Amino acid sequence: MQHGIKRKQWTKELLRHKREEDKKKIETYRALVEQMLQFRDNNNYSVEAMRLTTKVLDINPEFNTAWNYRRDIITNIGNLIDEKFWQDELKFTMIQLKRFPKVYWIWNHRVWILNNIPINQLKMWQGELIVVNALLEMDARNFHGWHYRRVVISNIEKLTKNSLNKQEFEYVTSKINKNISNYSAWHQRVQLITNMLSNDQIADKYDFMNKEIEYITNAIFTDAEDQSVWFYIIWMIKFPIVKELLGQDGYSKFLKELRENAEMINMDELEFSGKDNFWCLKIILEIDMIQNSFDNLTDRSVFKGYLEKLIKLDPLRQNRYKYLLSKLS
Amino acid sequence: MVNALLKEKHIKYLKSLDSQKETLEYWLSEHLRLNGIYWGLTALCILDSKETFQREEVIQFVMSCWNNRTGGFGPFPKHDAHMLSTLSGLQILLTYDAINLITEDSEKLDSVVQFIKGNQLPDGSFQGDRFGEVDARFSYNALSALSILGMLSPEVVDPAVEHILKCLNFDGGFGLCPGAESHASMAFTCLGALSIVNKLNLLTPEQIDTIAWWLCERQVPEGGLNGRPSKLPDVCYSFWVVSSLAIIDRLDWIDSDKLANFILESQDEIKGGIADRPGNEVDVFHTVFGLAGLSLIGYDNLVEIDPTYCMTYELTSKIHKYPY
Repeated sequence: MQHGIKRKQWTKELLRHKREEDKKKIETYRALVEQMLQFRDNNNYSVEAMRLTTKVLDINPEFNTAWNYRRDIITNIGNLIDEKFWQDELKFTMIQLKRFPKVYWIWNHRVWILNNIPINQLKMWQGELIVVNALLEMDARNFHGWHYRRVVISNIEKLTKNSLNKQEFEYVTSKINKNISNYSAWHQRVQLITNMLSNDQIADKYDFMNKEIEYITNAIFTDAEDQSVWFYIIWMIKFPIVKELLGQDGYSKFLKELRENAEMINMDELEFSGKDNFWCLKIILEIDMIQNSFDNLTDRSVFKGYLEKLIKLDPLRQNRYKYLLSKLS
Repeated sequence: MVNALLKEKHIKYLKSLDSQKETLEYWLSEHLRLNGIYWGLTALCILDSKETFQREEVIQFVMSCWNNRTGGFGPFPKHDAHMLSTLSGLQILLTYDAINLITEDSEKLDSVVQFIKGNQLPDGSFQGDRFGEVDARFSYNALSALSILGMLSPEVVDPAVEHILKCLNFDGGFGLCPGAESHASMAFTCLGALSIVNKLNLLTPEQIDTIAWWLCERQVPEGGLNGRPSKLPDVCYSFWVVSSLAIIDRLDWIDSDKLANFILESQDEIKGGIADRPGNEVDVFHTVFGLAGLSLIGYDNLVEIDPTYCMTYELTSKIHKYPY
């Protein structure tokens, strides 16, 4: 699987040169692999075998059988393992991750080390938080990074029996403030709020929700183009507890103001670029659909008008709008 | 600009893959070999050119990847068995009408089934192998593999389904485990798994609408599909997203013509094959998923592919469907 590698046209000369270079590398690599697999078949769990896996993995970090063998060696090598050994193992995966941040097997190995390390586990996992902070600093949407962060946090929480939700909430807020289209952070915000509410970790829930409404209002006025914030808003308007916390009147007011803001942003954009902002229209539709479900405030013709506009504005998804139109009748 | 499907070139490209033994890349990708063969073979099936690979040779290779100690398939002889390569091995055997090599050998059948079931964890999820990595991909691997073998049972299916449903997020996407961010490839693994075990009816009509909405928002103005909001389009999502939409019967929620153009522009017009996006290096992974996407949207009379299994209907019609 290759991602993002520019195509290159190989001349005969270049190809011949590459083949020659490859020949030596293939010989070395295959000899190493063969020796390693032989060691494994002989249940050889020695320092030498460990070094062999290092050599193989340095060339090919995706060779999961080598990672498996390495773990079996570590498990069976016995009293040769001291604190420095584990530290070196962490360093080894770090060097690998810097070169190949998207290889699942390296991440797995690192988690395995941390789960099996016999020394101060809490300190170890806390160290990982610094590692994952640095990684998400370099690539704020790294899928592995966010997943790993959840693993790290849950391990620290387990060991300390203390929730880190508040600290993490501040972290995702800072990530969103840096880049409003960081959907990974918006996703995590939903997880955290849901968790904080169900564990009764928010003192003044009503106040919290109102601040959240203020936060998203600022966000849509900052950048109304990106879908990240809109997906978050859809969650807010549909998440039952929001309605519960705000009360029927507060919830209706929230929807009404959100609808007005979306209309306002759309008008501004229409004036500025001559085009509607289709996310504003989509949100208005969602709001109208919700309103429709508990009273009959909305005029159907308005609703239809928006859908017809969207069919033209967002033709890629026109059949979704046609489907919604058909549900109206 | 390439605006036609270069069928002959793709066949030639796929045929060339096994004659790459003098390149370093061939040896560095041993760990994906069985998957690679399944991708290449399925691409050829879509192009109606299954005979391009040597049947007997491939079957022999697949059987040499079977690990009699653990009961699963490794991706290459002597490599450790894994859920990913186990499914690929069985898919290839089914494609060659040779699944009886397992199903008619009760000892082998039992050990393959035990390998798969042995990787199910108490919460219904599956690990990839004995080292504990959990991912919805492995749930799909397990259910698809057991389905091919005709060995699904409620003890495995019910907890697996319960876990898969927990991977559904607020936005209508699915994550690799409960709480993980939505990713289009996980929509396929989760919906595909539910479809295999005939449990799509556990999703409410509202949930289906939300799932389809999130999926159709993956299409970007240039026609390609991305895997997550605000990411670049990539040809492989032509399968992950389109198959998911097909499974829930919402294929028309994206613009097929524009998607077809994006896939066609990602072809290498000189040596064949399809890349992740226009101008990039091709590989077998993007080639099969590009072709599978084109097949699902009914492009150019390609052989029809079953979105649930990513194999042609001709093959999947042989699978005995659950519940038995």
